[in-house]
Amino acid sequence: MKTKKVTKYIGVVALAAMTLCSCEDLLDSKNYTQSNTQNFPTSMDDVEMLVTSMYANLNHQAAKPESSYLLTNLYASDDMFTGSQDAELDHLMYRSDSQFDFCWDIHYKGIYAANTCLEGLNLMEAADNVPDAGLFSQRKGEAHFMRAFQYYELAELFGGVPLILSTTQETNAPRATADMVWAQIATDLQQAISLMSDKKYHEIESGHTTKWAAQALMARCFLFYTGYYQKEAMPTADGGSITKQQVVTWLEDCIANSGHQLVGDFRNLWAYTNEYTVDDYAYTAGITGVDGQPLRWAGNGNAEAVFAVKFGNFAGYSYENQGGYCNLYLSFFGIMSKSDNGAAFPFGNTNSLGTVPISLWDSWEAAEPNDIRRRASVIVDKDEFDMANYESGEVRGQWEETGLWNKKLQPILSKKAYDKVGSWANSLFWVAYPEYTGMTDAYIQPRWGAMFEDLYIIRFADVLLMHSELTGNADNMNRVRARAGLPAIGYSLEALQQERRHELAFEGQRFQDIRRWHIAETALSEQNNTTLKNLGVSTVMRDGKYAARYQATGGFWPIPSAQIQLSDGVLMQNPGWDTPDARYTTWNFDK
Amino acid sequence: MDRKFSFNKSMLFAGLLSVMILGATSHVYAVQSPDVLNMQQQMVKVTGNVSDAMGTIVGASVIEQGTTNGVITDIDGNFTLTVNRGAKLEISYVGYKTRVIVVTDVTHLRITLEEDYRQLEEVVVVGYGVQKKKLVTGATIQVKGDDVAKLNTTNALGALQNQTPGINITANNGLPGEGFKVNIRGIGTVGDSAPLYVIDGVAGSDINTLNPADIESIDVLKDAASAAIYGSRAANGVILVTTKQGKKGKMQFSYDMYYGWQNVYKMPNTLNAQQFMAITDETNFNNGVPALNWQTQLGEYTWNMLQNGWQGTNWLDEMRNENAAMQNHSINLTGGNEMSKFSAGFSFTSQDGIIGKGTVPNYTRYTARVNSDHVLLKGGDRDIIKIGENLLFYYSNQSTIAQTSTLYNDVYNSIKTTPLLPMYNAEGELFDYHNMQQTGWVYDDKQSNPVLQMQKAHGLNKDRTYGLNATAYLEVEPIKNLKWRSSFSYRMTNSSSRSLTTPYQASSNEGSASYIVSQSSALGHSISQENTISYILPKWKGHLFDVLVGQSFEKTIPGENLSIINSVAEGQQLPTMKPDMDHAWISNTIGNAATDIEGYPFDEWALASFFGRINYNYKDKYMATLIMRTDGSSNFARGHRWGIFPSASAGWLISEENFMESTRGWLDFLKLRASWGQNGNQSIPNFQYVSPIAFDLSHGYQFGQTHIGAGKLPTTGAYATTQANENVTWEKSEQIDLGIDAVFLGNRLRVSADWYNKKTKDWLVQAPVLSTVGTQAPYINGGDVSNKGVELSLAWNDRVGKDFTYGLSLNASYNENEVTRIANSEGVIHGNKGAIASVNAAEFYRAQVGYPIGYFWGYQTAGVFQNQKQIDDWKAAGNGVAQANPQPGDLIYVDRHRDGVIDEKDKTMIGNPHPDWHLGFSINLGWKDFDFSVTTSGAFGQQLYYGTREHTIEAFGRWHGEGTSNRYPRLGNSAMIVDHVTDIDIENGDYLRIQNMTLGYDFKRLWKNCPLSQLRLYVSVQNLFTFTSYKGMDPEVGFGGTDRYGENATSWVSGIDMGSYPAARTWLIGANLKF
Repeated sequence: MKTKKVTKYIGVVALAAMTLCSCEDLLDSKNYTQSNTQNFPTSMDDVEMLVTSMYANLNHQAAKPESSYLLTNLYASDDMFTGSQDAELDHLMYRSDSQFDFCWDIHYKGIYAANTCLEGLNLMEAADNVPDAGLFSQRKGEAHFMRAFQYYELAELFGGVPLILSTTQETNAPRATADMVWAQIATDLQQAISLMSDKKYHEIESGHTTKWAAQALMARCFLFYTGYYQKEAMPTADGGSITKQQVVTWLEDCIANSGHQLVGDFRNLWAYTNEYTVDDYAYTAGITGVDGQPLRWAGNGNAEAVFAVKFGNFAGYSYENQGGYCNLYLSFFGIMSKSDNGAAFPFGNTNSLGTVPISLWDSWEAAEPNDIRRRASVIVDKDEFDMANYESGEVRGQWEETGLWNKKLQPILSKKAYDKVGSWANSLFWVAYPEYTGMTDAYIQPRWGAMFEDLYIIRFADVLLMHSELTGNADNMNRVRARAGLPAIGYSLEALQQERRHELAFEGQRFQDIRRWHIAETALSEQNNTTLKNLGVSTVMRDGKYAARYQATGGFWPIPSAQIQLSDGVLMQNPGWDTPDARYTTWNFDK
Repeated sequence: MDRKFSFNKSMLFAGLLSVMILGATSHVYAVQSPDVLNMQQQMVKVTGNVSDAMGTIVGASVIEQGTTNGVITDIDGNFTLTVNRGAKLEISYVGYKTRVIVVTDVTHLRITLEEDYRQLEEVVVVGYGVQKKKLVTGATIQVKGDDVAKLNTTNALGALQNQTPGINITANNGLPGEGFKVNIRGIGTVGDSAPLYVIDGVAGSDINTLNPADIESIDVLKDAASAAIYGSRAANGVILVTTKQGKKGKMQFSYDMYYGWQNVYKMPNTLNAQQFMAITDETNFNNGVPALNWQTQLGEYTWNMLQNGWQGTNWLDEMRNENAAMQNHSINLTGGNEMSKFSAGFSFTSQDGIIGKGTVPNYTRYTARVNSDHVLLKGGDRDIIKIGENLLFYYSNQSTIAQTSTLYNDVYNSIKTTPLLPMYNAEGELFDYHNMQQTGWVYDDKQSNPVLQMQKAHGLNKDRTYGLNATAYLEVEPIKNLKWRSSFSYRMTNSSSRSLTTPYQASSNEGSASYIVSQSSALGHSISQENTISYILPKWKGHLFDVLVGQSFEKTIPGENLSIINSVAEGQQLPTMKPDMDHAWISNTIGNAATDIEGYPFDEWALASFFGRINYNYKDKYMATLIMRTDGSSNFARGHRWGIFPSASAGWLISEENFMESTRGWLDFLKLRASWGQNGNQSIPNFQYVSPIAFDLSHGYQFGQTHIGAGKLPTTGAYATTQANENVTWEKSEQIDLGIDAVFLGNRLRVSADWYNKKTKDWLVQAPVLSTVGTQAPYINGGDVSNKGVELSLAWNDRVGKDFTYGLSLNASYNENEVTRIANSEGVIHGNKGAIASVNAAEFYRAQVGYPIGYFWGYQTAGVFQNQKQIDDWKAAGNGVAQANPQPGDLIYVDRHRDGVIDEKDKTMIGNPHPDWHLGFSINLGWKDFDFSVTTSGAFGQQLYYGTREHTIEAFGRWHGEGTSNRYPRLGNSAMIVDHVTDIDIENGDYLRIQNMTLGYDFKRLWKNCPLSQLRLYVSVQNLFTFTSYKGMDPEVGFGGTDRYGENATSWVSGIDMGSYPAARTWLIGANLKF
């Protein structure tokens, strides 16, 4: 009897215990640190964060300059050698199959961020949740701008690419035609122009794109598309088109109403004229600018920056792509000096890449001997460095040495910073600011991390030059010349081409300019037969195969082979990249 | 200082625990004392001797039935026991039939036990219960704790290497305290392919937290049918660990210890200074680069040393820590009576590293374990209510040098750094970047003194882990053979770590201007409860059924992570900040510091399960088992979270058949087994079924004016971390197993063989997706693989004469792995790029349909072009060449695609890092009180990537003129495609290692009246010799690459030798004492 009772009791307890667990609710878990795409965004604060991550992509792109739009364009152009034994990009070749992996990947990440943002905004609009219509519309315009910007860089680098316009569409898409990609770019920019606010540039928080930037980017895209593909107008996604006149109107709106203007002296655009360096740098000390004022850097977010990438106190290696939170591009071009003794003052000691061909210097001097921009843009080692302390190229391991480097993309030192920290390696001028307290990331040293200068994408001078090019009217070009202390001239395409080369040298425009003007083969071939030094030994660049490689590729780069494989044949390679000629093995490839 | 403190703390804890438990059990004894007193006058003293046909039996148990009164036989088989007149004496020993003898007037007994090989009454652990070994129908393998402990490894897995056919165990590297890669019956997935560990019934425990001396047995469930009882987590097999349980009878105390000296077994032949210069000159010449003037390159200091006969620095030699110590002490205590039993164990293990002089790596572990059970209500011959508990506390402490990836590896650094760099400057301090500048060293300012890096940054760290596994259970048997068992477990794991980088500058790009201190801690805990009801049905006409149904629920309680990294520039640190670990505290960096803080919870996770098992047995001849389990996991969305995992198996004990009567003379036992089953795998991060939006500064942007002060943070960004996959669900493995077990010749020869075919379907993987996806790939159910193989184990044990025993055993297994499906468009899951030295290095391992998981993918070569004619002929035959302008001495790439171009399409399988065969054999000899054993283990059929060849004298094997080499090309960049792996760097990895050789002697016989029942001393050598043709340091290489950031080590590849921390050769002395 007793045992039976016990059995019953135990049975009931066991059953109760088992049914307790059959509840699905126990298996639902919560995420305490993340939201998801089904419940986000719901407020303007949420939107701000989605918008922010779109811009963050610009910093992420900067994390690997060696696989970037900017460095590819610089090296490939006729204005720069790589300054390295690994000179593949200069010769329109590749050395590693994965060379463009990052570049391709990071642009599509940017597109994904823009698509996520647009879809989030649509979600809010559909729920009739638009708390601030003006701001909402501005942010939406920025998302369209950012998507267009990513496709613009992709289209110039690779030609037609897969068009991904939502986060849920099939991603193994074939390459759209170049026309389709440029049509999408035009449509997005058109949207951006109509959605964004009419406020002057300085009324909008620095860093956000503006209607004016969208107008300027539209003009740049129009010039490339109509030039390279030799078309009259630019298509739009809905089958319409954008005419030259529309673009000119937008540019005129930008010039008249944006609030942007040229800074007083060309040299004030560049950080070497900053207050903590300018008086100790022989080239700038005591100089009065074209505007009659002492030289003084115009700073980040200045009147001429129509669109620029911003950096901050946040670079590091704690997670992927954090390195790009400082202007890491600069670290490629700082002048190497083994003993780090400040011999190349005020230029920081990094990798000495990107030497400048003597051909550029010579032709510039011949054409415009009085152009202040030449020395403002190019470093001449023997004129500027303490050559007694400066090691030879053999010691530094310098390749493709010409004695000339670009002056626009340089880490800039300051003697005042040196006085503060006692080591040249740590004396970037930002360190001299009283409020500077060090990097936030524990792993990055001031020597490479304290580079917070904006990277110009579109300068107002470019807007003016584009206007002249589209209209054939020299007035705006002459505004740019006047700022360089040069007299006005009449319009001709050749004059305009030369003006762009000089004004925008080393800003990443040149390679695309010579492509759209169809002068790339001749321009690039100027680099043949140049003398330069490898490891201190004089040598001659024999046939660099520039013309042949340009003919083979049209100036487009290889689609990453990993992507082609992954697409199972859906993606097709660009011409000129499937042959042994495309692979760069050693500097002496032409021996 | 630090170590001593923690030792005291944990000893205090261990002492407290033991006092508590001894108190509890002595109470039980005390209850009985009045009865014992009353019966004193009826007592009789019995002596006796226990033997079998061959000789005396040591350690047989002699117990007065129904009491706790008992002894075990001594070294000569003798025992003495005082019992009640007329008592029944029960004499038992594992493997023998138990005898019961009534004590009459005869007080000296000669008892002969009969071997019980026909019965094989040994039980094995099968999950939620035990089963007689002879009735098991699945493929399981049991290794006794003693066989694990006797190999003197710090980790139990190290001792299983040669004892478990079908289980691939590879050390990650030789750093003290490092783990192993374990795969049962081949790699089943590119996701989590580790087996499930269940320690004393608690799933998901960590076997590293146990001292081998605590282990009673390890049971491995290899086939799907056996593992099915663990359903959703059993796809990669299950390893059941049972710790030592209480035994009734005399209290036993044992103490085991060893102390050892470890040394590097094989050094790499790195280039010396002169050889290095010769190789560099030749490379430069071939590259068309101007020759280096070594005198100006190296500077006066270094050049002068060379002029005086210096041969350069042998970095690895400088890092050696000779005679590195290793020791272990463990105490075990067991005892109990009919009503209460307990087992307690305490241990201390410590091992120093053989490389890392100056910052010697160390692993130290303390464990304390108490298991006990108590009968609360006894009725007749059964325990109606029983309760018990298992408690395990562990504490370990590890300090390491860099060894996680190629980018962070001091051993690799020591091999690759040029021998030209001096170790010390003129003042005898470690040579640094400042010394380079001072002495005019301009050769390569990126060469970093690896000893400096190790001592200033990589070697300054301390990781502590401690945790508690606690289980309490209640077992009720209200009617005979019906048992309800309910248990509740709590598991806690804590870790805290600190590391320090001190200011140093080893080269132009390697150094730190700051003190960087990091401190982190994590607390995690989980609970589980389970209920099972089992019933053995009354026998009906020879049919015997027993059934088990059960339920379990496991859940993690949100744990916590907190980490802080602080850095303070040199010169701005607080006065309490000193460059050593004792001062490596965040508080010492407060002030003008840059901080990086993270604090986040562990994800919640839960698993609800129901399961059942039916065992059927007809007359011990025909057996069958059916298992069904269903699990619901929180890792998946509603509607996709429940999985059902069935299995069936059957056995036929042929030797029990009447028609086998005639074979009984030589065939003792013969069983055939067959099984089929399905298991699951749910091991992915949570929330993959939605696209989570993360908010953090990694996607922030600096709007507005530039902020250059501290604390000026950018705007936080929100971003979708992964593409969602709502349909993601279980990975499943399905396996068929056929097996045979046989015993021959009077239990002398035991044979066991298995064939299996395992298919793992629907891998949980983050298959690579096109960049156009725009974010991280979602987890998908994306691949299938098949593993087929055979396993064989043979053991022969015999005795010659009275004094000599010997045993031989051999384990062999063969496995064939082939990927059969990958669910992305190209059918490939790519390996990490940059897995080897160069961050630009191309991918060279992958999982691809039709190939083994993780095979080496690269270019096939056809030798080296010896002359121009050969080049011309090669091209004329329509073959492509990789070089734009090939020259004699260049590597010949095989144009597999025959399209006249060498490109990625020509890459193919150039090696497989996974062995085809595993082999382990051992010899045991005993003569009188001497014992001697040799244990070997080996692996065959695998290849290794030899990533350090160019830094050793093998660099001289290059082509340097017609006929000089047809394998390695001339030096220089253009001879081969940079950053791509070819078959010239793939080496045969076959090896056979003499893992352990031990000679012991039991001194008990010399001192007959000492109170010990065993006093064995031994000497042992581990890793005595390795037979291999591999030229690197060690052919056992667990490293399989990381991503290009040196993180996320690949689990499904091994054999990438980039300078793996080598295994040591160790000489040991040890003692085993038993009271």
